[in-house]
Amino acid sequence: MAEQAGSESLRTYEEINAKIKRGDAVVLTADEFVAHAAQSGLEAAAKEVDVVTTGTFGAMCSSGAFLNFGHSEPPIKMSTCWLNDVPAYKGLAAVDAYIGATAMSESRGLEYGGGHVIEDLVSGKEIALRAGAYGTDCYPRKSIQTILRLEDLNQAILVNPRNAYEHYNAATNSTDRILYTYMGTLLPNFGNVTYSGAGQLSPLYKDKGFETIGIGTRIFLGGTVGYVVGEGTQHSPQTQFGTIMVRGDLKKMNPRYLRGATFHKYGTSLYVGLGIPIPIVNLRVAQSAALADDQIHTNIIDYGVPSRNRPTVKKTSYAELKSGEVYFNDRKTRASPLSSFKYAGEIAETLKRWILEAAFTLSRPAELLPTHREFKPLEVSRTEPRVRDVMTSKVTTASVGHTVNAAADILVSKGIDHLPLTNHENKLVGIVTSWDIANAVAQGKAAISEVMTTNVITALENDTLDIVALKMTQKNISGLPVVDRENRVIGIVTARDLAKRREVFSR
Amino acid sequence: MKLRLVYPHEKVSVPVLSEVVHKTGLLVNILEAKVTAKTGEVVVDVPARGKQLQDAISLFEAAGVNVEKIPTAVSIDYNRCTSCGACVSPCPVGAIRLHVDWTVELDEEKCIRCLICVDACPVRAIRSL
Repeated sequence: MAEQAGSESLRTYEEINAKIKRGDAVVLTADEFVAHAAQSGLEAAAKEVDVVTTGTFGAMCSSGAFLNFGHSEPPIKMSTCWLNDVPAYKGLAAVDAYIGATAMSESRGLEYGGGHVIEDLVSGKEIALRAGAYGTDCYPRKSIQTILRLEDLNQAILVNPRNAYEHYNAATNSTDRILYTYMGTLLPNFGNVTYSGAGQLSPLYKDKGFETIGIGTRIFLGGTVGYVVGEGTQHSPQTQFGTIMVRGDLKKMNPRYLRGATFHKYGTSLYVGLGIPIPIVNLRVAQSAALADDQIHTNIIDYGVPSRNRPTVKKTSYAELKSGEVYFNDRKTRASPLSSFKYAGEIAETLKRWILEAAFTLSRPAELLPTHREFKPLEVSRTEPRVRDVMTSKVTTASVGHTVNAAADILVSKGIDHLPLTNHENKLVGIVTSWDIANAVAQGKAAISEVMTTNVITALENDTLDIVALKMTQKNISGLPVVDRENRVIGIVTARDLAKRREVFSR
Repeated sequence: MKLRLVYPHEKVSVPVLSEVVHKTGLLVNILEAKVTAKTGEVVVDVPARGKQLQDAISLFEAAGVNVEKIPTAVSIDYNRCTSCGACVSPCPVGAIRLHVDWTVELDEEKCIRCLICVDACPVRAIRSL
């Protein structure tokens, strides 16, 4: 008969806490437990070890803090509020605010954001508060500007709606330009791989059945004691993308484990240090806690495709990623993490020490987290214009064998600027523009093949206009041939088509 | 050793660098080059040390080129660095590595001053010098 989830068949929370208080609890970090289970066998390790500690230190964008400023004289009901020029959410009571990690400074932009405000608060630095109000009978003040520190606040509570992803995708880039993403800097032509997540130290992967982690689980958060509030947003445990929502007292935290971050040309975030103690209550939990890097898999995703459905380039393991090189497309590519294994290990060690010193006991969750959650996309209900709606279908093309003079005649007689060139199967092989023709005349070239662009940037019928506009800006071009899957020309879309469409929409 | 070579106006058209390579046999690598109407500035990596390096510098100076030694291109502030690794794989020459204890390490000899790591660092712990 199957045991109930979370069954305490090996030991109870009370037994573990009694051992912690006596000072004879057996506590290992996840790295140590993986090695121990491999050497002594899973069952022996499970019988011997009471608690396995985990850790992670990564950029967690869904993080922020609730702040209560206290009341000024005369009082104000703030409706807008900035901390060091970073806007805070004010849809709350008079002097309550929420500062989110990804909010960005209105004067410094990507270089400083909510994550940096949180780090500066925890570091004891002075923060400039500026707020506005419409003024009421009970809150007459209409504006305020002052300087405050963490110690001046009544409450500063870190409440992060989504932290500690069980594991995460790895990233690479198929395009011919450097991409700056939330997965860091991705070199062109699959030049590198970046990845996130702590592998065999990952808190949620060490209890992948969610048998011990739940509402009220006591954890390490930002250098002090915190708690699991419940499932995190986008919690998707059935695909090992489980997440948790956590809270902790900012006033007790350590800036070493809360770091404001900037991802170049992407935005700001907050690096959060988080660790969870896993009580080895039954054999299934032990089995999960013993999972090694080579048993924890993830996909390398091509971030060069600007879509929700980015293609997988390769399935890999944390063991391969951590080796520093990944093999795909017939070659080795350098791989590096975005989340610190050094700090993750340090957090697991710190949590272990707290437990061994009886400064930290384990809590049985009031309720376990769901083990299944549908992960739904956001469908766009309004019909968005696509390339097929704005393109010219009666596209004029020419054979690649034409002369420059013949091409010039076509451009002039048709009143067009772009001439896609095709082979005998009507497949696209190049393009010439009126500018190319002018150039050819200036240089005295006669054959079109000498002046055409062969590496043609194209569009698909189903592309959205945003994608087409982005390509035009990036490549500094004004027209894209529209091709089908076989690279046959079926239309052309120009900057003029986009401009016309925008006019119609703005009306 | 990386050197910044500043060419005065009248030397811009003289192939000083080629002459030095020819005379010393050193495989000098050009990292940066800026030539304007008034002056020229080239940053090179000279794979030499001690007397060999000094000889090369003397040859440049004898040809009227001002030589400035560049000890390091970037520095990591370990008070801010969390060794997250975000700078490691973007480095095109593998000059930044993760040590076995997962600490980020910079190999100054390999660095080609592209500075991609400066922007890649999420906590701005890498500065260009």
